[in-house]
Amino acid sequence: MAKTQYYVPVGPIHPALKEPIRVEAEVEGERIVRVDVKRGFAHRGIEYMGMKRNAIQTLYLSERICGICSISHPYAFVIGSEKALGIEAPPRAQYIRPIIAELERIHSHILWLGVVAHEMGFDSLLFWTWKGREKVLDLLELLTGNRINYSVFMIGGVRRDIKESQIKAIKDAIDFYRIFTEEMKNVFLSDPVYKARTRGVAQLSREMALKLNVCGPVARAAGLRMDVRQDNPYDAYADIEVRAIVPQDIVGEARGDAYDITLVRLYEIEQSLDIIEFCIENMPEGRIMAIPNYVVLLSKIKKTKGEAIGMHEAPRGEVVHYFKYDGTRDGPAVWKVVAPSYNNINSWAPLLLGAEVADIPIVVAYIDPCMCCNDRVAVVRDRDGRIMDYSLIHRKAVEKTMRLKRELGVRA
Amino acid sequence: MRGKPLTPEKVIEKLQEALGEAILSHGMKEYTVGIAKKRSYREIWMEIDRKAFRKAVEEIFRLDYPHLHFIMGEDSGGDMIKMIYGFALYHGLPWEQVSIVLKFNLPKSELVLPTITDLMPGAETNEREIREMLGIEFEGLKNKRHLFLPDDWPEGKYPWRRDEYGVEDMVKHTHKSVKEIRKGRGE
Repeated sequence: MAKTQYYVPVGPIHPALKEPIRVEAEVEGERIVRVDVKRGFAHRGIEYMGMKRNAIQTLYLSERICGICSISHPYAFVIGSEKALGIEAPPRAQYIRPIIAELERIHSHILWLGVVAHEMGFDSLLFWTWKGREKVLDLLELLTGNRINYSVFMIGGVRRDIKESQIKAIKDAIDFYRIFTEEMKNVFLSDPVYKARTRGVAQLSREMALKLNVCGPVARAAGLRMDVRQDNPYDAYADIEVRAIVPQDIVGEARGDAYDITLVRLYEIEQSLDIIEFCIENMPEGRIMAIPNYVVLLSKIKKTKGEAIGMHEAPRGEVVHYFKYDGTRDGPAVWKVVAPSYNNINSWAPLLLGAEVADIPIVVAYIDPCMCCNDRVAVVRDRDGRIMDYSLIHRKAVEKTMRLKRELGVRA
Repeated sequence: MRGKPLTPEKVIEKLQEALGEAILSHGMKEYTVGIAKKRSYREIWMEIDRKAFRKAVEEIFRLDYPHLHFIMGEDSGGDMIKMIYGFALYHGLPWEQVSIVLKFNLPKSELVLPTITDLMPGAETNEREIREMLGIEFEGLKNKRHLFLPDDWPEGKYPWRRDEYGVEDMVKHTHKSVKEIRKGRGE
């Protein structure tokens, strides 16, 4: 009998993947009959590091968990820490934080729209959406000093105020994105090819979404009204009364496929614009930090015994940080990070079963996976299987740089 | 269909009915949020007997199909590992969500727990992570492959353990403090 099943490995390093993960599929013809997902290729042991540093260092380390959600992890971190320490950020800071977080959501959602267009082969659409995304990155740079890794949050407040001149820039950006989102809606939602490529692909039912414990836009596209900003409000979100955006409210029914998730993300950009507008119109005056002195803050943390959960609705879903301060050190004794992709990757294996090979990129991209969020240790061995330590790897890296410089004729 | 959401008090009552003596202590944490209008929400924190863990989870699933926030284990160096499970009931209903944190001690001589993947298949990720990071066996967990750690990770090493099974010896070069580095340079 002829062989009918073939093994198709995708990743960990693959031109279609921007970050390392491995999908192993067994196919019969075009149909996937067995699938396995392997993760951990970008695991860096960040939680372990955090449990060895002080809280302020860990806060900025948490920013480096992910480059795209570089405000989401600090947000969950500060909310959790404030709950454990029993301090409250000043009102003005509570209004500044959502502005930054929502600007990030806009850029992350536009990034996803571009990526999914690219996975389908619409590269012109990728360039057009990402060109539009530049404006929000420039704005974030204006507000915080950086395009990513803003370093603007602090336990008990924010480190930078928003000035009058910056508010004008924010308003301009809102006007720009109102129009740009409308254009994106036209392009994505009414394009027959886009619809044909996404309708019914990566379809997740409401029950499946619950059982697989997914969160964020993936859960919302399946019709679950799940949004931390609504369920467990914090900061200015409590005043705004954010409501989860689900397809049944927009088009009458939720199918939970890649088309619905596009819909949810596009409407969430508009929601973010509304939230930013509310925040700049109602921003109270006053201080921006509860405890401006870092030494005082750290000594307070050192004296605190307590635990708490900090949650934030990141662009990709719910970020949960669990903390425990044990009263002996000025950093978390226990720190657990659960990023949205951790849960959302659960959906790959069930969704890929029975799908076609050509659907793999869409199923993989539709949750907007973020491996560096999801994974957090790599052990490097030499040819004889001995573990190579840090200093050796560092020396080898320096040697390689030197060699390249020599070969390319670059002078120091 | 989902029942009417219960208040945190009622949830505690229901759990007390089901578990009785097995609840060692319980408390509620209240957090006030909002600037224009102050409102508050509550979380349930509960310490239970480890033998009642499965029953407690089953009771939570009877109340409402929960969302699993996280599973975490804390090894503070003694002969116990403290397990922490975070669930959310009534998610999706504004101001009605009730978070429940279940905590219990697991002796290092008997690191076995019943799986919850039969109730929630999505918990596989969490259980596999706890299994490789702390060395806790889950009875009934089907997929026991490594999740984040490489497939050739040495056996009997668990990164989150703070005893002889920990990884201090493997990572000693990566976590020097500034002071140690300066001292090493002779500054």
